[in-house]
Amino acid sequence: MHQLKQYQIAEALERDLGNPGHPESTMSFKRVMELDESEEFPEAEVDWLYNWKLQDYYVPENCGGKFTSFEEFVAFVRVMSRRDQTIAIAFTTMFWSFLTWMAGTDDQKKKLSQFIREEKGTMCLAYSERAHGSDLIGGDVTAKKVEGGYLLNGEKWPINRATRSGVTFVLAKTSEEEGARCLSLFMVDKRQLDPSTYYHLPKILTHGIRASDMSGIGFKDCFIPEDMRLKDEGSGLELALKGFQITRMLCAAFSHGAADTAMRTTLNFAVDRVIYNKTVFDIPQPRQTLVDAFIDMLVCDCETIGAARGFHIIPEQFSVWAAVVKYFVTIKLEEVINSVYVVLGSRFYMRDEHDYGIFQKLLRDNSIISMFDGSSVVNLHALILQFRQIAKYRSRRNQKTMEGIQSRLDTIFSLEKSVPPFEPEKLGLFGRGADDVLQGLEIAWEQLQELNMEADVDADVLEKITTLTTIVLEELDAFDERIANSGFEHGHDQDPELFELAKKYCDLHAAAASVHTWIYNRTILDDFFAKGEWLVLGLYRCLRPWRSLPNIVPKAYSENVAQHLLKLHQENKMFSIVPIQLAQTDTQEEKPHASAELQLQA
Amino acid sequence: MQVQNSNSKPNDVMVQSDVDTTNQSVDSVQAIQNWMVNQLVEQLSLDAKNIDVTEPLTRYGLDSIDAVTIVGELEDWLEVELPSTLFWDYPTIQKSAQYLVEEFDVSAALNNAEPAAPSETKEAKPEASEKSGKGWGGFWKGLGG
Repeated sequence: MHQLKQYQIAEALERDLGNPGHPESTMSFKRVMELDESEEFPEAEVDWLYNWKLQDYYVPENCGGKFTSFEEFVAFVRVMSRRDQTIAIAFTTMFWSFLTWMAGTDDQKKKLSQFIREEKGTMCLAYSERAHGSDLIGGDVTAKKVEGGYLLNGEKWPINRATRSGVTFVLAKTSEEEGARCLSLFMVDKRQLDPSTYYHLPKILTHGIRASDMSGIGFKDCFIPEDMRLKDEGSGLELALKGFQITRMLCAAFSHGAADTAMRTTLNFAVDRVIYNKTVFDIPQPRQTLVDAFIDMLVCDCETIGAARGFHIIPEQFSVWAAVVKYFVTIKLEEVINSVYVVLGSRFYMRDEHDYGIFQKLLRDNSIISMFDGSSVVNLHALILQFRQIAKYRSRRNQKTMEGIQSRLDTIFSLEKSVPPFEPEKLGLFGRGADDVLQGLEIAWEQLQELNMEADVDADVLEKITTLTTIVLEELDAFDERIANSGFEHGHDQDPELFELAKKYCDLHAAAASVHTWIYNRTILDDFFAKGEWLVLGLYRCLRPWRSLPNIVPKAYSENVAQHLLKLHQENKMFSIVPIQLAQTDTQEEKPHASAELQLQA
Repeated sequence: MQVQNSNSKPNDVMVQSDVDTTNQSVDSVQAIQNWMVNQLVEQLSLDAKNIDVTEPLTRYGLDSIDAVTIVGELEDWLEVELPSTLFWDYPTIQKSAQYLVEEFDVSAALNNAEPAAPSETKEAKPEASEKSGKGWGGFWKGLGG
């Protein structure tokens, strides 16, 4: 079992699912390819997950479930996603239940908890409409007040799991007046509806996640009782935006799973394939490509895991942090996948060759992650609108502010520390400019100075980390200056240059998250992590688009990273700062027996 | 934030110590309204004459998220913490200004603001803010004032 408790569920799920390379395992690459080709909903696989009781981990403990930590949540979603994003997403539409955990009454929570845990309950989110995209207020679906409830009218499309779900979270207009208070959110339990008053729209054929139930739902004078409304009338947009903060951050877990498989299946090829008397992995250019991709994966890890933990400590800052993660991690991991397929060569494009053709599938599947629940542009725009407040907040920090930030960073980034229960009611529409990760970077810089005294720290590595952290701070100052002088506008006519600036902010943010992660976990995680060479390379890669950098990175660092990458591949461990053990080649049927043997040996 | 440094002071506010409470409230509402009008003038390049304080802010191209971020600017100016959904619940300049004066103690912040000539022009403001921005080098340029 993993020493960090929050990774034990992920390891257990891994073990029980079995090695996806083995055709007989649940969610094997062979099986998920068949599902993709047939475009049939993965009924049996989703049912397997319910029988495994994974749904309990979507329901908070105080609502009767076993959810305690988003870090744990991210870890097990990665386990599903590395096999198949279609199934991972289909099952994880259940994370919309957080709308009810956030805003529901005790009765609503109890009902949903029971539905999920005891009735294999499923749900979907019905916000978007064919004619309005992400303009939620522009929607046409209405909920007209009648005695005892509302009459729903209109269509929601495209909605994942619209047809195969028992509960539909519907955003509908309850007021004819334009404005942010015109929407209300309803937890619609289809079992209570008159079947003649609602209908499902046909399955939409898609480029990726082809086995999904991507469809829609329509209502025609459909009566819903008043107790299906979440919170007050008019609070729909507020709940929707806060709910997105949770799901946007969690979307990163889907991308991490796909990136792991992209790297693994490429390595399966690169370590065996001999060309010009060498393996592909031993040729410098492809080797460096894979090292660079691996470094990017580790930086994304720091951003994702930090954010997952941060939810429990600073939920009020997630109007910023969720947008950074949703943009940075999903886009960066798309780049990772795109860069490694060059190493895999033309096999990346084949549907029935090399690991059952899984690469082309994950490439198609993964391309939706950066788009749904708020596209990259939507997230960058959300950041742009907050930049002035962020820069102002940073300029006003004082001793007391810094002490608060230091204490919070300590809990957020120390993986061995437990996190308090998530308090969704503390999510805010905007965080008033607070962003501990970047605003606490001076604290990290001080901590780096103190590490000079530590015998177990490589002085050269530390010096390089310090130099690069100093550059991050300089770039952050330049960023603030730039924001101070920018022609800011509200609305949707932002200068395209500001979007580039927002990308820079995300790169600096990821750099800072990586520095914090290293400082707080040097003595907790493995030797490779502790040495910090990966961090030097990671910081270098974060800064390179924005600054001409001195060539301070020794070739040996890359070589050591290459060796570690190879080791994780050989030992079948996740490509992560927390490299959990992945399922070995034995099948599920053999598994319990094998586990028992291991325990006996121990 | 130092209001004096911000140049986001209400240009039109006329603070008088000897007026009665009612007049102060009226002045405060007026000052806040002026501040908001100036925000729209600056950020949306509108003519102040075309802004009607009784119209919803969305009429001027601000969406719901913009309305939330403007609350942050208003908080800085008035030095009070406000509900982030202020402009969702009080969607016109007039309604939100009245609500603020009724529900929050804004007098201290308004009194700190230097009275300014009401006849400012749009062109004059960026220059003024650059001068008063101190270390922030015109940071407040876009904020109006």
